[in-house]
Amino acid sequence: MARIARITRESFRVMGANRTRVFIMMLGMAVGVASLTLMICVSKGAYEEVMDIVNRQGPDLLQVRPGTDKHTGLPSGSRAVVSLLEEDVDAILQHIGNIRAISPVKDRKEVEVKHGDKFTLTRIFGITPVWSEIRDFGPSKGEFISEEDLSFAARVCIIGQTVKKNLFGDTDPIGQTIRIKDVPFTVKGELQWKGISSAGRDRDDRIVVPITAYTKRLFRDIYLTQIVITVADISNLDKTIEDVRSVLRERHKISAGEPDDFAMRTPQDLIDLAYSTTRSLINLLTGIAGVSLLVAGIVIMNIMLASVSARRNEIGIRRAIGAKKRDIISQFVMEGFLISMMGGLLGTMLGFGGSIILSYLKVAASRVTLLALAASIVSCSLIAVVFGIYPAKKAANQSPVDALRT
Amino acid sequence: MIKTKNIEKTYKKPSVTTPVLRGITLSIHRGEYVAIMGTSGSGKSTLMNILGCLDKPTSGQLELDGTDVYTLDDDALSALRNKKIGFVFQQFFLLERTTALENVLLPLIYADNYPADAKQRAKKALTNVGLEDRMEYLANELSGGQQQRVAIARALINDPDVILADEPTGNLDSGSTHEVLEIFSRLHQEGRTIIVVTHDRAVAEHAQRILELKEGQIIENTTSSKPENSGNH
Ligand SMILES: Nc1ncnc2c1ncn2[C@@H]1O[C@H](COP(=O)(O)OP(=O)(O)OP(=O)(O)O)[C@@H](O)[C@H]1O
Ligand SMILES: [Mg+2]
Repeated sequence: MARIARITRESFRVMGANRTRVFIMMLGMAVGVASLTLMICVSKGAYEEVMDIVNRQGPDLLQVRPGTDKHTGLPSGSRAVVSLLEEDVDAILQHIGNIRAISPVKDRKEVEVKHGDKFTLTRIFGITPVWSEIRDFGPSKGEFISEEDLSFAARVCIIGQTVKKNLFGDTDPIGQTIRIKDVPFTVKGELQWKGISSAGRDRDDRIVVPITAYTKRLFRDIYLTQIVITVADISNLDKTIEDVRSVLRERHKISAGEPDDFAMRTPQDLIDLAYSTTRSLINLLTGIAGVSLLVAGIVIMNIMLASVSARRNEIGIRRAIGAKKRDIISQFVMEGFLISMMGGLLGTMLGFGGSIILSYLKVAASRVTLLALAASIVSCSLIAVVFGIYPAKKAANQSPVDALRT
Repeated sequence: MIKTKNIEKTYKKPSVTTPVLRGITLSIHRGEYVAIMGTSGSGKSTLMNILGCLDKPTSGQLELDGTDVYTLDDDALSALRNKKIGFVFQQFFLLERTTALENVLLPLIYADNYPADAKQRAKKALTNVGLEDRMEYLANELSGGQQQRVAIARALINDPDVILADEPTGNLDSGSTHEVLEIFSRLHQEGRTIIVVTHDRAVAEHAQRILELKEGQIIENTTSSKPENSGNH
């Protein structure tokens, strides 16, 4: 058996004989590592949630809205609402190559819709057929709006699941006629179920109609509420965003130095938005983890220093029977390392438990991840060595005669 | 086997300098059983620590088995202690909450080559000191005499050239003292070199030769009148 293996085994044996001391050191470490683990799990959960949103919305999706607030798209001034036009869409399509699909969008909220004696208030969207592909929002039954519907401004609509429930209950809506603002529209299909959006909006409470029918038959809105775009080559996303911006600025005759009268929301904005909610929690946990790991290191160092004096005779006799200075250092560092590791594993378990509780209580979307285990192992080893080497050297550098004095 | 030349040891404090050893020159042969006597504070332990390469003198030379000890570095001294010297102390210095067997195995951890039959050897060493039925006892579960016998077994495990015992019977009652001395006599008959530090003449009488320390010097170098195997009845 190799010398270092013998000394490691000796460290284990000594730890077994001093369980109380070992337990206190372990606890210190466990607290630090538990917060570290929790921090990583919460970060991972936040990251996955963001990626989930981005993937649901599409990592290639660009939204242009009138106004200047890119998160809400709300108009920040009266001028802003009247900025985007269908001609802008044509110009973008004409000047920019990296566009896979683009659709103008008009919409109004709380529009009266009737079917027989049933009544509901819902949101009406005027869109083009590619909208369904851009937003990944197709029909689950029936058909979507066709190019023909668009050119004839056909009075057809596709209804969301909430609207269907409100107006039709369990009966089949396809082929039926509903009245939107007293204009009759034929239900051509049902939109697939989408659920609640990250902003808390019911995405199924909507009706989509051809944008031409929206303008001619329902509302005489000229300005768009949105332009949705998917890019062809996602690696060129940043360049495309700039291109869209300059096309729009030119068309809107915005001179250099003036702010945009529209806002673009990119996948990166979605990431920022989603992260901003968990960021403070992550910062807090990072702080706690940092402080408690430092405290754990200091606890380990102090207990080791105390045990160096308490174990003077042990060190002395080991030196007398042939332990070299580095054998003593190895033994003490190894002890610190093993204790720190055990504390670290305990802490990781506690952290995982905390993570499960956090996501169960819906405080944060925490994910148990092996990355946290890896981080604990690394930080435990580092702390053990950094804080253990000084006491270990102190143990080894005593003269054997002094160490053997009683 | 062991040769010293003009060993001096002085403890220096800012206010006082205490000369403890003042020129010790001696030579101990292989297989000898030597006692070092002297009053308390005469420097017995100091000399013994120097002979055991645990401590360095202020000046002088020490030759162990032909090696000039003070040319060696700290690691080499550790290796030398491990291989050639077996220590027995008044306070036993066993690891507590550790079995007798593990205590005896301790020197092998630091040996250059760990023998495959380590456990066998430790058991044999314990049997040799009459503790075959106490191997799995923890050190703190043993009587003083038993603890000292474990310490002797530990000193023997690496088959050392010399056994250095500093007041080995200092903490023992007469029964246990007798047992320990008997073991030393037996080891001596088996050909081991033994140096015992004691202030008890009855203990020293078991040795072949008695060195007396007084005021830092060896003032007497008598050969014991007692027959070699006096420990046995
Ligand atoms: N580290 C030290 N610093 C100063 N003086 C010391 C030191 N170690 C020992 N001494 C002194 O050296 C002298 C000899 O000590 P030593 O322990 O060798 O005596 P001893 O003969 O073994 O005595 P005892 O029979 O009491 O064990 C004593 O006077 C002691 O005070
Ligand atoms: Mg002494």
